[in-house]
Amino acid sequence: MRTEREQPWRYLAPAALLLGIVTVYPLAHVVWLSLERRSLLDPAPPSFTGLDNYARLAADERFWNALGNTAYFVAVSVSLELVLGLAFALALQRPFRGRAALYGIILLPWAVPTAVSARMWEWMFEPDIGVLNYVLGAQVNWLGSPAWALNAAVLMDVWKSTPFVALLLIAGLQSIPQDLYRAAAVDGASRWTVLRRITLPLLAPMILVALLFRTIDAFRVFDAIYVLTGGGPADSTETLSIYTYKMLFQSLEFGYGSALAVSVFACVALIAGAYVFLLRRILQ
Amino acid sequence: MLSRRRFIATLGAAALAGCGRPARERGATTLVFKHGKLFGDPRALRALIDEFERAHPGVAVREETLPASSDEQHQFYAINLQARSEAFDVLAVDIIWVAGFARAGWLRELGALEPGAFFDGPAEAVTWEGKAYALPWFVDAGLLYYRKDLLEKYGLAPPETWHDLVGVAREVAGRVPGMHGFVWQGKQYEGLVCNALEYLHSNGGAVLADGRVVLDSPQNREALALMTDLVHRYRVTPASVTTATEEPSRHLFGQGRALFLRNWPYAWRAFQDPSSRVHGKVGIAELPRFPDGRSAPTLGGWQLAVNAASLHQEESKALVKFLTGEKAQRRLAVAYGFQPARPALYRDAELLATQPFVGRLARVFAAARPRPVTPQYVRVSQVLQSDFSAAISGLRTPQAALAHAQRRIEAILGAD
Repeated sequence: MRTEREQPWRYLAPAALLLGIVTVYPLAHVVWLSLERRSLLDPAPPSFTGLDNYARLAADERFWNALGNTAYFVAVSVSLELVLGLAFALALQRPFRGRAALYGIILLPWAVPTAVSARMWEWMFEPDIGVLNYVLGAQVNWLGSPAWALNAAVLMDVWKSTPFVALLLIAGLQSIPQDLYRAAAVDGASRWTVLRRITLPLLAPMILVALLFRTIDAFRVFDAIYVLTGGGPADSTETLSIYTYKMLFQSLEFGYGSALAVSVFACVALIAGAYVFLLRRILQ
Repeated sequence: MLSRRRFIATLGAAALAGCGRPARERGATTLVFKHGKLFGDPRALRALIDEFERAHPGVAVREETLPASSDEQHQFYAINLQARSEAFDVLAVDIIWVAGFARAGWLRELGALEPGAFFDGPAEAVTWEGKAYALPWFVDAGLLYYRKDLLEKYGLAPPETWHDLVGVAREVAGRVPGMHGFVWQGKQYEGLVCNALEYLHSNGGAVLADGRVVLDSPQNREALALMTDLVHRYRVTPASVTTATEEPSRHLFGQGRALFLRNWPYAWRAFQDPSSRVHGKVGIAELPRFPDGRSAPTLGGWQLAVNAASLHQEESKALVKFLTGEKAQRRLAVAYGFQPARPALYRDAELLATQPFVGRLARVFAAARPRPVTPQYVRVSQVLQSDFSAAISGLRTPQAALAHAQRRIEAILGAD
């Protein structure tokens, strides 16, 4: 009896140890650094300053600007991805000729490395010779005007990540029992009623999972925007991750930069917590 | 993320230190010379190093190349120098790092510079609290490229002042359809600071003076206003300049779609390619100035320094002196078109014969001005990038942008 009880721990120990080393320890270390005044270029040795870095954060307009940019980016790109992803999933739900080929084409943007697609979009956004202005017959300074730049980044993210949402939702749709649809057909339910009463409620858990992944990913967005604009013009596309990167790896301010990193972590943890809470309620 | 990076860097340093040891045990000294990928064929540099080795029996020099990205090099040096790594002895440093590294105590002091041996700009940039912490190796500075053929056709002279430039650009752009007047680097990045300072400095303005922030001054307001007017009022610069870095602006000019270009000397070579659309049609001039100011191209370039934690201080110092010496700089200039930091070489017959273009740059380098020399440069630059960008994209007036930057930079230097 006794040995049986001990056994799970033995099996879990290696995984727990690994997680501890690669996740918990670095995280705790970053939290610790965020409580210090520590800059690589500062000749003074690092000193413990308690919550000073967080007080500085609260008064830092650049931080609030970055948080606002990040929130806007997440809200707009994730909602568009969900709507479009759902539309694709519903369209691809039933078998038809050429579906497999269409699958492949839709997944393509997701398969391209972000830095590569960002470079590609940079050229398409080019105001003089870019294909986007050519097609639209417009003269939009996509990446160079503070009003457009963040929206241009949203556009690229939607292009890139909608396939991911669609893929998850297709999987979700396929797990809905066909009997329900047949029963609805017998009852003479309209397509709209079927979508509202059967598909969406049963798809809700998968929608939440997709939202959870996308929201967290979008909140940490770095590479796409860094390649497109580097945070400019006038900080209008500087997200929290870009600000954190500049503080940590350009300014080498490890104390304050860690406080920024912890703030990103805290936001992501809150978002994840909220989704998990919702998910549990739905599943119960 | 952070601790993992440090961990890897430390591991790397430990491995390198391990490599260096056997040589020391044999009684020989191996100097490790770290630099970014600097120029084409590495053989001429290696030949120089071989010569140094022959002159210093028992000393071997190993080159180690860092990634080309300046941010990555900065990180590598900062992390390893702060850890007092002995894994490298001599390092190539960007002009904007010297003050920060020197104040941190990471670089060995190299004594007083020979007066007049180096251009004034680099001499100022390698000096911290009256002492030199690096020796200038090669220099870079902003230039004005112009379409010689078009100016001749319309009987116009290359501009001396910014206002001349606006006049010429409007006149020619009005006659040649699809032609932009003046392209430069306006994306929010380090290059924007280099560009903007050329306006401020050429109007007698500055960012810092005697450790005080003097950004919000009438001279600077006038200068930044002219820079933003190029885009919004005179429209000689396209609005898309807010996305332009060196290469896109060079392409625009290279395709024959701009009359004037501000860029570094490297662009010259691309325009000499016979297949270039502007081949044979390009002239260079010093950057314009304000009526009461002097042309003030921003200084770039690389310096050599000795790691303060190196175990071979004397040999390292000798290597730095050798590689930044007249003979070495001449050889590298002849081999690569590398731009020497020593003004005397610009009168050298061999150099002028083999690299006539480099020879024409003496006046430009003599006038070149460093970016603010402060240990906090990287953070100061981030503020300048954001506020200059706000001014150019029309989000803030030049006056508001300067006042805003002034406050933020005062906060950075005040907390230091």
